Amino acid sequence: MPIITAQDISCQRGNFLLFKPVSFSLDFGQSLLISGPNGIGKTTVLESIAGLRGLQQGRLSFKDQDLSKFKDDWFENSLYIGHKTGNKKELNCLENLRSFLQIQGIEVLEPQAEQALEQVGLAGYEYQMAGSLSAGQKKRLALARLLLVDFSIWILDEPFVNLDVSGCDWLLSVLDNHVKNNGILLITAHDNKVIKNKVTRELILEPAEL
Amino acid sequence: MKPFLALVKRDLTLGLRRKSQIYQPLVFQLLVVTMFPLGLGSGAKTLALIAPAVIWILALLASLLTLDQIFKNDYDDGSVESYVLTSYPLPLSVMAKVMAHWLLSGLPLVLFSPIIGVLLHLPSSSYGILMLSLLIGTPIFSFMGSIGSALTMSLKHGGLLLTILVMPLLTPVLIFGASAVVESALGNSAAQALLLLSGLLILSITLIPFAAAAAIKINLE
Repeated sequence: MPIITAQDISCQRGNFLLFKPVSFSLDFGQSLLISGPNGIGKTTVLESIAGLRGLQQGRLSFKDQDLSKFKDDWFENSLYIGHKTGNKKELNCLENLRSFLQIQGIEVLEPQAEQALEQVGLAGYEYQMAGSLSAGQKKRLALARLLLVDFSIWILDEPFVNLDVSGCDWLLSVLDNHVKNNGILLITAHDNKVIKNKVTRELILEPAEL
Repeated sequence: MKPFLALVKRDLTLGLRRKSQIYQPLVFQLLVVTMFPLGLGSGAKTLALIAPAVIWILALLASLLTLDQIFKNDYDDGSVESYVLTSYPLPLSVMAKVMAHWLLSGLPLVLFSPIIGVLLHLPSSSYGILMLSLLIGTPIFSFMGSIGSALTMSLKHGGLLLTILVMPLLTPVLIFGASAVVESALGNSAAQALLLLSGLLILSITLIPFAAAAAIKINLE
């Protein structure tokens, strides 16, 4: 039995279905790339899977439980990082990283957080306010959360946006490691070529017929 | 650290760094209250007569200045996801947000109110009741505001809409709050009005976190 199964799920904007209903299933150690043209609803479907919004139709289940009813188990096993980084510009990098996770009930010690910042290439920026970081650095700060949580499911919306070449390489290796260690990855990405070869399967969203 | 305390602590840190959330309502109050003697052009007696109502209306308007910020900033930068995508109950997180908002914007109004009272020649016997009534009343502003803020957080300029949504809900608070001060200025007991005000506060604490949590979820759809 796969860990995550989606049956004929679709999302709505206004009164229209965004894309043809899709189905997929994922087991530990597998990854899924969601692709399709701009505006097709990649972000919307990821947000729905993450639990930020409801699905218009179809059924999504986690360990055989309907996700529209039981979400606690899902939230304790999944991490979503979207377009909005969730950083507060008046907090420094360490405070941002720690407070975001503490609000989710995850205690992170300062040395751990410092180490994570070092790994994402933000060493020396620990006490710099997030508001003064560049777009790429803000993204790195958000991605540092990946290193501090021990969740098996990662849901990432365009994680490569704003990252430089070395940042992309770093992220690719982190994602690779996660999947190799029996993690599950759901991802959308613009630069499909590199990531396409790495994922277990690809889901292409097509416009719904009116 | 519990998520509740972590959220309160984060918001207090943010508020103390931004500062505008704290001093804006106070400066607004001070500016408006200095206009009253100038506009009315009459003596201390008239001012004392209208003082309870003016102080309460000012507290209401000053609170409205910052209510939209409760959830708007978190929505804009995406940190709202940190307390929505978790198994920790959303109504409790709403409570934490409201508490932090009150500590930053409501409590200063309570502590500042004697100064406004002096400027309006409020009878000296009413200061205790004035502060007590505001202490009970201003948290209700923050609670009611959390619904309005949750409903309007995705709008660019939701301030006016929030005012229209929240103002009618706040009229009972204004009525009971101001009447408590009026009664005490007349030398009567303010107990009845204060008890009704306390009832409203208890109602807010128990029901509004659920309503605001539902509003947040609707807005993320």
